[in-house]
Amino acid sequence: MKSNKIPVILVLLLLATGCHSSGSDNHSGGSSGPQPIVAGLPNGGSLPTLSGPNVLAMTVNGSTCASNSYPNKPCVSVTVCAPGTTNCQTISDILVDTGSFGLRVFKSVLTVPLTPVALGGKTVGECVQFADGTAQWGQVETAGVILNGEPQVQVPVHVIDATFAQVPGACGTPVSSPANAGFNGILGVGLLAQDCGPGCVTSSANGFYFSCAGTACTGTTMALTSQVTNPVALLPHDNNGVVLELPSIPRGGVASLNGYLVLGIGTQANNIPHGVNVLTAAAGTGDFSTNFSGQVTAGFLDSGSNGLYFNAPVSGALPDCSFFDQNMAGWFCPNGTASLSAVNTGSNSSTASSVNFLVGNAINLSNNASNSVFIELGASGGGDFDWGLPFYIGRNVYIGIEGAASSLGTGPYYAY
Amino acid sequence: MKQTLVVLILLASANAWATLGQSVDSVEADRGALQAVRKQANSKSEYTVHTIESGAATVREYVNAAGTVFGLAWTGLTHPDLSQLLGSYASDYQQAVSQNPHEFGKRSHSVDTGSVVVEKWGHMRSMKGRAYDPALLPQGVSADEIK
Repeated sequence: MKSNKIPVILVLLLLATGCHSSGSDNHSGGSSGPQPIVAGLPNGGSLPTLSGPNVLAMTVNGSTCASNSYPNKPCVSVTVCAPGTTNCQTISDILVDTGSFGLRVFKSVLTVPLTPVALGGKTVGECVQFADGTAQWGQVETAGVILNGEPQVQVPVHVIDATFAQVPGACGTPVSSPANAGFNGILGVGLLAQDCGPGCVTSSANGFYFSCAGTACTGTTMALTSQVTNPVALLPHDNNGVVLELPSIPRGGVASLNGYLVLGIGTQANNIPHGVNVLTAAAGTGDFSTNFSGQVTAGFLDSGSNGLYFNAPVSGALPDCSFFDQNMAGWFCPNGTASLSAVNTGSNSSTASSVNFLVGNAINLSNNASNSVFIELGASGGGDFDWGLPFYIGRNVYIGIEGAASSLGTGPYYAY
Repeated sequence: MKQTLVVLILLASANAWATLGQSVDSVEADRGALQAVRKQANSKSEYTVHTIESGAATVREYVNAAGTVFGLAWTGLTHPDLSQLLGSYASDYQQAVSQNPHEFGKRSHSVDTGSVVVEKWGHMRSMKGRAYDPALLPQGVSADEIK
Protein backbone atom coordinates (compact mmCIF):
# COMPACT_ATOMS: atom_id res chain seq x y z
CA MET A 1 0.00 0.00 0.00
CA LYS A 2 1.41 3.38 -0.93
CA SER A 3 1.64 6.14 1.60
CA ASN A 4 -1.47 8.20 1.86
CA LYS A 5 -1.31 11.64 3.34
CA ILE A 6 -4.92 11.98 4.41
CA PRO A 7 -4.78 9.18 6.99
CA VAL A 8 -1.43 10.55 8.15
CA ILE A 9 -2.96 13.88 8.97
CA LEU A 10 -5.93 12.31 10.73
CA VAL A 11 -3.67 10.15 12.88
CA LEU A 12 -1.54 13.11 13.83
CA LEU A 13 -4.53 15.26 14.66
CA LEU A 14 -5.91 12.59 16.97
CA LEU A 15 -2.58 12.27 18.73
CA ALA A 16 -1.95 15.99 18.90
CA THR A 17 -5.29 16.68 20.57
CA GLY A 18 -4.59 14.07 23.18
CA CYS A 19 -7.67 12.10 22.25
CA HIS A 20 -7.53 8.84 24.16
CA SER A 21 -11.08 7.69 23.67
CA SER A 22 -10.92 6.60 20.06
CA GLY A 23 -9.45 3.37 18.83
CA SER A 24 -8.13 1.12 21.52
CA ASP A 25 -10.27 -0.54 24.11
CA ASN A 26 -10.45 0.58 27.66
CA HIS A 27 -8.95 -2.28 29.59
CA SER A 28 -9.81 -1.00 33.00
CA GLY A 29 -13.17 -2.74 32.97
CA GLY A 30 -16.56 -1.15 33.43
CA SER A 31 -17.65 -3.20 36.40
CA SER A 32 -16.43 -2.90 39.92
CA GLY A 33 -16.40 -5.26 42.87
CA PRO A 34 -15.76 -8.99 42.76
CA GLN A 35 -16.05 -10.69 39.38
CA PRO A 36 -18.22 -13.75 38.98
CA ILE A 37 -16.17 -16.90 38.94
CA VAL A 38 -17.01 -19.12 36.01
CA ALA A 39 -16.00 -22.56 37.14
CA GLY A 40 -17.27 -24.97 34.48
CA LEU A 41 -18.15 -28.55 35.21
CA PRO A 42 -16.93 -30.08 38.47
CA ASN A 43 -13.95 -32.38 38.33
CA GLY A 44 -14.99 -35.49 36.40
CA GLY A 45 -18.28 -33.89 35.37
CA SER A 46 -19.89 -35.49 32.34
CA LEU A 47 -21.99 -34.18 29.47
CA PRO A 48 -25.55 -35.16 28.63
CA THR A 49 -25.81 -37.15 25.41
CA LEU A 50 -26.58 -34.85 22.49
CA SER A 51 -27.92 -35.76 19.08
CA GLY A 52 -29.35 -34.00 16.06
CA PRO A 53 -28.36 -32.84 12.59
CA ASN A 54 -26.43 -29.93 14.11
CA VAL A 55 -24.29 -32.05 16.47
CA LEU A 56 -20.83 -33.24 15.37
CA ALA A 57 -18.94 -35.74 17.46
CA MET A 58 -15.79 -33.95 18.58
CA THR A 59 -13.07 -35.89 20.37
CA VAL A 60 -9.75 -34.91 21.82
CA ASN A 61 -7.45 -37.61 20.48
CA GLY A 62 -10.35 -40.04 20.21
CA SER A 63 -12.06 -41.71 17.26
CA THR A 64 -12.19 -38.56 15.11
CA CYS A 65 -8.43 -37.92 15.37
CA ALA A 66 -5.51 -39.81 13.90
CA SER A 67 -3.97 -42.16 16.44
CA ASN A 68 -0.77 -41.27 18.26
CA SER A 69 -1.13 -37.57 17.57
CA TYR A 70 -0.03 -34.64 19.72
CA PRO A 71 -1.62 -33.80 23.09
CA ASN A 72 -4.86 -31.80 23.35
CA LYS A 73 -5.88 -32.02 19.70
CA PRO A 74 -9.68 -31.66 19.18
CA CYS A 75 -10.95 -33.20 15.94
CA VAL A 76 -14.11 -33.78 13.94
CA SER A 77 -14.92 -35.50 10.67
CA VAL A 78 -16.13 -33.32 7.79
CA THR A 79 -17.75 -34.42 4.55
CA VAL A 80 -16.45 -32.72 1.40
CA CYS A 81 -18.20 -33.04 -1.97
CA ALA A 82 -17.78 -31.99 -5.55
CA PRO A 83 -19.98 -28.88 -5.24
CA GLY A 84 -23.69 -29.57 -5.56
CA THR A 85 -23.24 -33.30 -6.09
CA THR A 86 -23.39 -36.50 -4.07
CA ASN A 87 -19.79 -37.28 -4.99
CA CYS A 88 -18.52 -36.92 -1.44
CA GLN A 89 -15.89 -38.18 0.96
CA THR A 90 -15.71 -37.97 4.74
CA ILE A 91 -12.37 -36.81 6.14
CA SER A 92 -11.39 -37.32 9.77
CA ASP A 93 -8.54 -35.82 11.75
CA ILE A 94 -9.80 -32.29 11.02
CA LEU A 95 -8.59 -29.93 13.77
CA VAL A 96 -11.40 -27.91 15.39
CA ASP A 97 -9.86 -24.45 15.54
CA THR A 98 -11.59 -21.45 17.08
CA GLY A 99 -8.42 -19.44 16.37
CA SER A 100 -8.97 -19.44 12.61
CA PHE A 101 -11.75 -19.08 10.09
CA GLY A 102 -12.66 -21.43 7.23
CA LEU A 103 -11.96 -24.99 6.13
CA ARG A 104 -8.47 -26.06 4.99
CA VAL A 105 -7.76 -29.57 3.75
CA PHE A 106 -4.60 -31.12 2.40
CA LYS A 107 -4.85 -31.85 -1.31
CA SER A 108 -3.24 -35.23 -0.68
CA VAL A 109 -6.29 -36.48 1.25
CA LEU A 110 -8.90 -35.19 -1.25
CA THR A 111 -10.42 -37.79 -3.57
CA VAL A 112 -13.35 -35.74 -4.94
CA PRO A 113 -12.94 -32.92 -7.48
CA LEU A 114 -13.51 -29.40 -6.21
CA THR A 115 -14.10 -26.32 -8.38
CA PRO A 116 -11.18 -23.85 -8.49
CA VAL A 117 -12.15 -20.28 -7.69
CA ALA A 118 -11.33 -18.18 -10.75
CA LEU A 119 -10.39 -14.52 -10.83
CA GLY A 120 -10.30 -12.96 -14.28
CA GLY A 121 -9.44 -16.31 -15.83
CA LYS A 122 -6.64 -16.96 -13.32
CA THR A 123 -6.47 -19.38 -10.44
CA VAL A 124 -6.27 -18.17 -6.85
CA GLY A 125 -3.55 -19.15 -4.39
CA GLU A 126 -3.55 -18.39 -0.73
CA CYS A 127 -0.97 -18.22 2.05
CA VAL A 128 -2.12 -18.27 5.67
CA GLN A 129 0.24 -17.89 8.58
CA PHE A 130 -0.14 -19.32 12.04
CA ALA A 131 1.16 -18.10 15.36
CA ASP A 132 3.68 -20.92 15.61
CA GLY A 133 5.54 -19.51 12.62
CA THR A 134 4.20 -22.10 10.19
CA ALA A 135 2.31 -21.28 7.00
CA GLN A 136 -0.05 -23.08 4.65
CA TRP A 137 -0.09 -22.51 0.92
CA GLY A 138 -2.39 -23.79 -1.79
CA GLN A 139 -5.27 -23.14 -4.13
CA VAL A 140 -8.65 -21.68 -3.21
CA GLU A 141 -11.45 -23.92 -4.47
CA THR A 142 -15.18 -24.19 -3.94
CA ALA A 143 -16.30 -27.31 -2.11
CA GLY A 144 -19.66 -28.71 -1.09
CA VAL A 145 -19.27 -29.06 2.66
CA ILE A 146 -21.56 -31.17 4.83
CA LEU A 147 -21.39 -30.83 8.60
CA ASN A 148 -23.12 -33.91 10.03
CA GLY A 149 -26.84 -33.69 9.16
CA GLU A 150 -26.86 -30.12 7.90
CA PRO A 151 -27.55 -29.33 4.23
CA GLN A 152 -24.55 -29.14 1.90
CA VAL A 153 -23.18 -25.61 1.61
CA GLN A 154 -20.93 -24.44 -1.20
CA VAL A 155 -18.01 -22.55 0.24
CA PRO A 156 -14.50 -21.48 -0.79
CA VAL A 157 -11.96 -23.69 1.00
CA HIS A 158 -8.19 -23.73 1.12
CA VAL A 159 -6.64 -26.77 -0.56
CA ILE A 160 -3.29 -27.05 1.21
CA ASP A 161 -0.63 -27.90 -1.36
CA ALA A 162 2.96 -26.68 -1.10
CA THR A 163 3.50 -27.69 -4.76
CA PHE A 164 0.78 -25.40 -6.15
CA ALA A 165 2.20 -22.81 -8.57
CA GLN A 166 5.13 -20.98 -7.01
CA VAL A 167 5.13 -20.25 -3.27
CA PRO A 168 5.51 -16.48 -2.69
CA GLY A 169 8.68 -15.62 -0.80
CA ALA A 170 6.88 -14.12 2.18
CA CYS A 171 5.03 -17.42 2.68
CA GLY A 172 8.32 -19.04 3.67
CA THR A 173 8.40 -22.82 3.71
CA PRO A 174 4.76 -23.89 4.01
CA VAL A 175 3.75 -27.22 5.56
CA SER A 176 3.97 -30.04 3.05
CA SER A 177 1.84 -32.93 4.32
CA PRO A 178 -0.55 -34.05 7.07
CA ALA A 179 2.41 -35.72 8.76
CA ASN A 180 4.29 -32.44 8.56
CA ALA A 181 1.36 -30.45 9.98
CA GLY A 182 -0.16 -32.86 12.51
CA PHE A 183 -3.65 -33.07 10.95
CA ASN A 184 -5.52 -33.72 7.69
CA GLY A 185 -7.11 -30.30 7.76
CA ILE A 186 -8.42 -27.45 9.90
CA LEU A 187 -12.03 -26.42 10.47
CA GLY A 188 -11.80 -22.77 11.50
CA VAL A 189 -14.95 -22.05 13.49
CA GLY A 190 -13.80 -18.90 15.27
CA LEU A 191 -15.94 -15.81 15.64
CA LEU A 192 -15.04 -14.04 12.41
CA ALA A 193 -16.57 -15.26 9.15
CA GLN A 194 -13.73 -14.91 6.62
CA ASP A 195 -10.05 -15.69 6.99
CA CYS A 196 -8.88 -12.24 5.90
CA GLY A 197 -11.97 -10.05 5.87
CA PRO A 198 -12.28 -6.42 4.74
CA GLY A 199 -8.50 -5.91 4.64
CA CYS A 200 -8.25 -8.18 1.61
CA VAL A 201 -11.17 -6.53 -0.16
CA THR A 202 -9.24 -3.28 -0.35
CA SER A 203 -5.55 -4.29 -0.33
CA SER A 204 -3.65 -6.75 -2.47
CA ALA A 205 -0.54 -6.49 -0.27
CA ASN A 206 -1.67 -8.49 2.76
CA GLY A 207 0.11 -11.68 1.77
CA PHE A 208 -3.14 -13.71 1.86
CA TYR A 209 -4.55 -13.96 -1.67
CA PHE A 210 -2.67 -14.34 -4.93
CA SER A 211 -3.78 -14.39 -8.54
CA CYS A 212 -1.85 -17.07 -10.41
CA ALA A 213 -1.20 -17.43 -14.15
CA GLY A 214 0.67 -20.67 -14.60
CA THR A 215 3.14 -20.72 -11.73
CA ALA A 216 3.47 -16.94 -11.42
CA CYS A 217 1.42 -15.54 -8.54
CA THR A 218 0.94 -11.91 -7.58
CA GLY A 219 -0.99 -10.42 -4.65
CA THR A 220 -4.64 -9.71 -5.32
CA THR A 221 -7.65 -8.27 -3.58
CA MET A 222 -10.48 -10.68 -2.85
CA ALA A 223 -14.20 -10.05 -2.45
CA LEU A 224 -15.60 -11.25 0.88
CA THR A 225 -17.81 -13.80 -0.85
CA SER A 226 -14.77 -15.39 -2.54
CA GLN A 227 -12.64 -15.55 0.60
CA VAL A 228 -12.22 -18.80 2.50
CA THR A 229 -15.16 -18.71 4.89
CA ASN A 230 -16.29 -20.54 8.00
CA PRO A 231 -18.89 -22.97 6.52
CA VAL A 232 -21.06 -22.60 9.63
CA ALA A 233 -21.73 -18.96 8.69
CA LEU A 234 -23.25 -20.15 5.39
CA LEU A 235 -25.66 -22.74 6.79
CA PRO A 236 -29.33 -21.99 6.09
CA HIS A 237 -30.07 -22.42 9.82
CA ASP A 238 -27.81 -22.93 12.87
CA ASN A 239 -25.51 -20.31 11.33
CA ASN A 240 -24.98 -17.82 14.16
CA GLY A 241 -22.15 -19.64 15.90
CA VAL A 242 -21.03 -22.89 17.49
CA VAL A 243 -20.78 -24.49 20.92
CA LEU A 244 -17.79 -26.60 21.92
CA GLU A 245 -18.67 -29.03 24.69
CA LEU A 246 -16.15 -31.17 26.53
CA PRO A 247 -16.56 -32.99 29.86
CA SER A 248 -14.26 -32.42 32.78
CA ILE A 249 -11.22 -34.60 33.47
CA PRO A 250 -9.05 -35.30 36.50
CA ARG A 251 -5.60 -33.85 37.01
CA GLY A 252 -2.91 -35.93 35.35
CA GLY A 253 -4.92 -36.34 32.19
CA VAL A 254 -6.82 -39.00 30.30
CA ALA A 255 -6.13 -40.95 27.12
CA SER A 256 -8.93 -39.34 25.09
CA LEU A 257 -12.08 -37.30 25.56
CA ASN A 258 -15.46 -37.36 23.81
CA GLY A 259 -17.49 -34.21 23.33
CA TYR A 260 -19.45 -32.25 20.77
CA LEU A 261 -19.22 -29.45 18.27
CA VAL A 262 -22.77 -28.10 18.19
CA LEU A 263 -23.82 -25.80 15.34
CA GLY A 264 -25.95 -22.76 16.13
CA ILE A 265 -26.62 -20.90 19.36
CA GLY A 266 -30.20 -21.02 20.64
CA THR A 267 -31.40 -22.32 17.28
CA GLN A 268 -32.37 -25.82 18.50
CA ALA A 269 -33.39 -27.42 21.75
CA ASN A 270 -29.85 -28.80 22.06
CA ASN A 271 -27.97 -25.49 21.91
CA ILE A 272 -29.81 -23.14 24.26
CA PRO A 273 -27.37 -21.28 26.53
CA HIS A 274 -27.79 -21.59 30.30
CA GLY A 275 -26.25 -19.19 32.80
CA VAL A 276 -23.27 -18.17 30.71
CA ASN A 277 -21.06 -15.12 30.91
CA VAL A 278 -20.83 -13.22 27.62
CA LEU A 279 -17.59 -11.54 26.54
CA THR A 280 -17.89 -9.20 23.59
CA ALA A 281 -14.92 -9.37 21.22
CA ALA A 282 -13.32 -6.55 19.25
CA ALA A 283 -14.66 -6.28 15.72
CA GLY A 284 -11.36 -6.38 13.87
CA THR A 285 -9.43 -8.96 15.85
CA GLY A 286 -11.98 -10.95 17.84
CA ASP A 287 -10.09 -10.30 21.08
CA PHE A 288 -11.20 -9.45 24.60
CA SER A 289 -8.78 -8.49 27.36
CA THR A 290 -7.25 -10.65 30.07
CA ASN A 291 -5.77 -9.43 33.33
CA PHE A 292 -3.38 -12.00 34.73
CA SER A 293 -1.22 -11.09 37.69
CA GLY A 294 -1.61 -7.39 36.94
CA GLN A 295 -0.62 -7.71 33.27
CA VAL A 296 -3.45 -6.72 30.96
CA THR A 297 -3.17 -8.19 27.48
CA ALA A 298 -5.38 -9.22 24.59
CA GLY A 299 -7.12 -12.52 25.28
CA PHE A 300 -8.79 -15.11 23.05
CA LEU A 301 -10.13 -18.64 23.26
CA ASP A 302 -8.29 -20.86 20.78
CA SER A 303 -9.20 -24.54 20.69
CA GLY A 304 -6.39 -25.06 18.16
CA SER A 305 -3.78 -24.12 20.76
CA ASN A 306 -2.97 -27.21 22.76
CA GLY A 307 -2.07 -25.36 25.95
CA LEU A 308 -2.62 -22.13 27.83
CA TYR A 309 -0.09 -19.64 26.44
CA PHE A 310 0.77 -16.54 28.45
CA ASN A 311 3.59 -14.66 30.06
CA ALA A 312 4.48 -16.00 33.48
CA PRO A 313 4.83 -13.44 36.26
CA VAL A 314 8.42 -12.76 37.22
CA SER A 315 7.95 -14.26 40.68
CA GLY A 316 9.23 -17.61 39.43
CA ALA A 317 6.23 -19.74 40.40
CA LEU A 318 6.12 -21.09 36.85
CA PRO A 319 9.67 -22.03 35.86
CA ASP A 320 10.40 -22.93 32.27
CA CYS A 321 10.89 -26.65 31.66
CA SER A 322 14.21 -25.89 29.97
CA PHE A 323 15.71 -25.74 33.46
CA PHE A 324 15.17 -29.49 33.56
CA ASP A 325 15.02 -30.60 29.93
CA GLN A 326 16.03 -28.40 27.00
CA ASN A 327 13.69 -30.32 24.68
CA MET A 328 10.73 -29.03 26.71
CA ALA A 329 11.73 -25.37 26.48
CA GLY A 330 8.79 -22.99 26.66
CA TRP A 331 6.50 -25.26 28.68
CA PHE A 332 5.91 -24.54 32.34
CA CYS A 333 7.31 -26.92 34.94
CA PRO A 334 6.09 -25.82 38.36
CA ASN A 335 6.81 -27.93 41.40
CA GLY A 336 3.39 -29.58 41.66
CA THR A 337 0.29 -28.04 40.14
CA ALA A 338 -0.23 -24.28 40.32
CA SER A 339 -3.78 -22.98 40.90
CA LEU A 340 -4.10 -19.61 39.21
CA SER A 341 -6.77 -17.19 38.10
CA ALA A 342 -7.23 -14.37 35.62
CA VAL A 343 -10.00 -11.90 34.82
CA ASN A 344 -11.43 -11.72 31.30
CA THR A 345 -13.16 -8.49 30.30
CA GLY A 346 -15.25 -8.04 27.18
CA SER A 347 -14.07 -5.59 24.53
CA ASN A 348 -16.89 -3.21 25.43
CA SER A 349 -15.84 -3.45 29.10
CA SER A 350 -19.39 -4.26 30.17
CA THR A 351 -18.78 -7.77 31.44
CA ALA A 352 -15.95 -9.48 33.23
CA SER A 353 -15.42 -12.87 34.76
CA SER A 354 -12.74 -14.50 36.82
CA VAL A 355 -11.42 -17.80 35.49
CA ASN A 356 -9.55 -20.28 37.66
CA PHE A 357 -7.05 -22.49 35.88
CA LEU A 358 -4.31 -24.99 36.58
CA VAL A 359 -0.77 -25.27 35.33
CA GLY A 360 1.01 -28.55 35.97
CA ASN A 361 4.51 -29.79 35.35
CA ALA A 362 4.69 -30.46 31.62
CA ILE A 363 7.56 -32.91 31.94
CA ASN A 364 5.73 -34.98 34.54
CA LEU A 365 2.55 -34.89 32.42
CA SER A 366 4.35 -36.00 29.29
CA ASN A 367 6.02 -38.84 31.16
CA ASN A 368 2.65 -40.60 31.27
CA ALA A 369 2.72 -41.92 27.72
CA SER A 370 -0.81 -43.31 27.79
CA ASN A 371 -2.46 -39.91 28.29
CA SER A 372 -2.87 -37.19 25.67
CA VAL A 373 -5.55 -34.89 27.11
CA PHE A 374 -4.46 -32.53 29.89
CA ILE A 375 -6.27 -29.66 31.58
CA GLU A 376 -3.09 -28.28 33.17
CA LEU A 377 -0.79 -27.81 30.16
CA GLY A 378 0.71 -24.30 29.93
CA ALA A 379 3.55 -22.54 28.18
CA SER A 380 5.01 -19.09 27.79
CA GLY A 381 3.73 -17.49 24.63
CA GLY A 382 4.48 -13.91 23.79
CA GLY A 383 2.32 -11.01 24.78
CA ASP A 384 -1.31 -12.20 24.69
CA PHE A 385 -3.29 -14.62 26.83
CA ASP A 386 -4.15 -17.55 24.57
CA TRP A 387 -6.76 -19.69 26.31
CA GLY A 388 -6.14 -22.93 24.49
CA LEU A 389 -7.82 -26.32 24.60
CA PRO A 390 -7.46 -26.75 28.40
CA PHE A 391 -9.89 -23.86 28.83
CA TYR A 392 -12.52 -25.80 26.86
CA ILE A 393 -12.24 -28.92 29.01
CA GLY A 394 -15.18 -29.11 31.41
CA ARG A 395 -17.07 -26.27 29.75
CA ASN A 396 -19.63 -25.41 27.13
CA VAL A 397 -18.07 -22.54 25.18
CA TYR A 398 -20.22 -20.45 22.83
CA ILE A 399 -18.59 -18.74 19.84
CA GLY A 400 -20.85 -16.09 18.28
CA ILE A 401 -20.01 -15.26 14.66
CA GLU A 402 -19.60 -11.60 13.72
CA GLY A 403 -22.82 -9.89 12.67
CA ALA A 404 -25.00 -12.86 13.64
CA ALA A 405 -27.60 -12.50 16.39
CA SER A 406 -28.62 -14.96 19.08
CA SER A 407 -30.18 -14.79 22.53
CA LEU A 408 -26.68 -13.90 23.78
CA GLY A 409 -26.37 -10.83 21.54
CA THR A 410 -24.77 -10.08 18.21
CA GLY A 411 -21.36 -11.51 17.38
CA PRO A 412 -18.46 -11.42 17.64
CA TYR A 413 -18.63 -12.70 21.20
CA TYR A 414 -17.53 -15.58 23.39
CA ALA A 415 -19.69 -16.98 26.18
CA TYR A 416 -18.98 -19.66 28.75
CA MET B 1 7.16 9.16 34.39
CA LYS B 2 10.27 11.25 34.88
CA GLN B 3 11.23 11.31 31.29
CA THR B 4 9.45 11.98 28.10
CA LEU B 5 9.47 9.53 25.29
CA VAL B 6 9.57 10.93 21.82
CA VAL B 7 7.29 9.02 19.52
CA LEU B 8 7.78 9.44 15.83
CA ILE B 9 4.94 8.46 13.61
CA LEU B 10 6.27 7.42 10.28
CA LEU B 11 3.97 6.24 7.58
CA ALA B 12 5.84 4.73 4.73
CA SER B 13 5.48 2.34 1.88
CA ALA B 14 5.97 -1.30 2.70
CA ASN B 15 9.54 -1.48 1.51
CA ALA B 16 10.93 1.36 3.60
CA TRP B 17 11.89 -0.70 6.64
CA ALA B 18 14.84 0.01 8.77
CA THR B 19 16.40 -3.25 9.84
CA LEU B 20 17.40 -4.69 13.17
CA GLY B 21 20.91 -3.75 14.22
CA GLN B 22 21.24 -1.01 11.63
CA SER B 23 21.01 2.75 11.76
CA VAL B 24 17.65 4.39 11.66
CA ASP B 25 19.09 7.00 9.29
CA SER B 26 18.26 4.93 6.24
CA VAL B 27 14.55 5.27 6.87
CA GLU B 28 14.64 8.89 7.84
CA ALA B 29 16.60 9.79 4.78
CA ASP B 30 14.14 7.93 2.60
CA ARG B 31 11.04 9.50 3.98
CA GLY B 32 9.89 12.95 3.00
CA ALA B 33 6.66 12.51 4.90
CA LEU B 34 8.25 12.25 8.33
CA GLN B 35 6.09 13.78 11.03
CA ALA B 36 6.67 13.81 14.76
CA VAL B 37 4.61 14.44 17.84
CA ARG B 38 5.57 14.43 21.46
CA LYS B 39 3.73 12.10 23.73
CA GLN B 40 4.20 11.16 27.34
CA ALA B 41 4.99 7.56 28.08
CA ASN B 42 6.04 5.80 31.23
CA SER B 43 9.34 4.67 29.87
CA LYS B 44 12.24 3.89 32.13
CA SER B 45 14.76 4.97 29.62
CA GLU B 46 14.93 7.09 26.54
CA TYR B 47 14.55 5.56 23.17
CA THR B 48 12.49 6.43 20.14
CA VAL B 49 9.80 4.35 18.56
CA HIS B 50 9.18 4.60 14.86
CA THR B 51 5.84 3.26 13.71
CA ILE B 52 5.54 2.08 10.15
CA GLU B 53 2.23 1.10 8.60
CA SER B 54 2.01 -1.34 5.77
CA GLY B 55 -1.06 -2.97 4.31
CA ALA B 56 -0.87 -6.01 6.53
CA ALA B 57 1.05 -4.99 9.63
CA THR B 58 2.06 -2.15 11.89
CA VAL B 59 5.73 -2.39 12.77
CA ARG B 60 7.25 -0.47 15.67
CA GLU B 61 10.99 0.00 15.54
CA TYR B 62 12.82 0.71 18.79
CA VAL B 63 15.87 2.91 18.33
CA ASN B 64 18.48 3.47 21.04
CA ALA B 65 20.34 6.72 21.73
CA ALA B 66 23.07 5.75 19.31
CA GLY B 67 20.49 5.58 16.53
CA THR B 68 20.58 1.81 16.20
CA VAL B 69 17.44 -0.28 15.85
CA PHE B 70 17.58 -2.67 18.81
CA GLY B 71 14.09 -4.11 18.64
CA LEU B 72 11.03 -4.58 16.47
CA ALA B 73 7.43 -5.34 17.39
CA TRP B 74 4.56 -5.95 15.03
CA THR B 75 0.83 -6.53 14.92
CA GLY B 76 -1.35 -7.12 11.90
CA LEU B 77 -3.26 -9.46 9.64
CA THR B 78 -0.08 -11.41 9.02
CA HIS B 79 3.48 -11.48 10.27
CA PRO B 80 5.71 -9.13 8.23
CA ASP B 81 8.45 -10.58 6.04
CA LEU B 82 11.20 -11.09 8.59
CA SER B 83 13.83 -11.80 5.96
CA GLN B 84 13.71 -8.04 5.32
CA LEU B 85 13.25 -6.76 8.85
CA LEU B 86 15.94 -8.88 10.48
CA GLY B 87 18.64 -7.76 8.07
CA SER B 88 21.95 -9.38 8.95
CA TYR B 89 20.26 -11.52 11.62
CA ALA B 90 17.94 -13.17 9.09
CA SER B 91 20.20 -16.07 8.14
CA ASP B 92 20.94 -16.91 11.81
CA TYR B 93 17.22 -16.90 12.47
CA GLN B 94 16.37 -19.07 9.47
CA GLN B 95 19.04 -21.55 10.45
CA ALA B 96 17.72 -21.75 14.01
CA VAL B 97 14.16 -22.24 12.75
CA SER B 98 15.21 -25.08 10.47
CA GLN B 99 17.05 -26.77 13.36
CA ASN B 100 14.06 -26.49 15.71
CA PRO B 101 10.98 -27.79 13.90
CA HIS B 102 7.74 -26.53 15.42
CA GLU B 103 5.92 -28.67 17.95
CA PHE B 104 2.47 -29.77 16.80
CA GLY B 105 -0.32 -27.85 18.47
CA LYS B 106 1.98 -25.27 19.97
CA ARG B 107 0.67 -21.88 18.93
CA SER B 108 3.60 -19.71 19.78
CA HIS B 109 7.07 -19.40 18.41
CA SER B 110 10.21 -18.43 20.28
CA VAL B 111 13.70 -18.61 18.84
CA ASP B 112 16.87 -17.40 20.55
CA THR B 113 19.90 -17.70 18.31
CA GLY B 114 22.20 -16.07 20.83
CA SER B 115 22.38 -12.92 18.71
CA VAL B 116 18.67 -12.35 18.17
CA VAL B 117 15.42 -13.33 19.89
CA VAL B 118 12.29 -13.73 17.74
CA GLU B 119 8.85 -14.39 19.23
CA LYS B 120 5.51 -14.81 17.46
CA TRP B 121 2.00 -15.28 18.85
CA GLY B 122 -1.64 -14.41 18.16
CA HIS B 123 -4.26 -15.97 15.91
CA MET B 124 -5.61 -15.59 12.39
CA ARG B 125 -6.18 -11.91 11.51
CA SER B 126 -4.31 -10.82 14.62
CA MET B 127 -0.69 -11.88 14.34
CA LYS B 128 1.86 -10.34 16.66
CA GLY B 129 5.51 -10.68 17.45
CA ARG B 130 8.78 -9.07 18.34
CA ALA B 131 12.47 -9.40 17.61
CA TYR B 132 15.43 -7.89 19.40
CA ASP B 133 19.15 -8.11 19.87
CA PRO B 134 19.70 -8.54 23.63
CA ALA B 135 23.18 -7.02 23.34
CA LEU B 136 21.76 -3.76 21.94
CA LEU B 137 19.10 -3.21 24.63
CA PRO B 138 19.71 0.14 26.34
CA GLN B 139 20.70 -0.23 29.96
CA GLY B 140 17.65 -0.55 32.19
CA VAL B 141 15.30 -1.39 29.32
CA SER B 142 13.52 -4.73 29.53
CA ALA B 143 12.73 -6.73 26.42
CA ASP B 144 9.09 -6.67 27.59
CA GLU B 145 8.97 -2.99 26.64
CA ILE B 146 9.24 -4.01 22.99
CA LYS B 147 5.60 -4.52 22.17
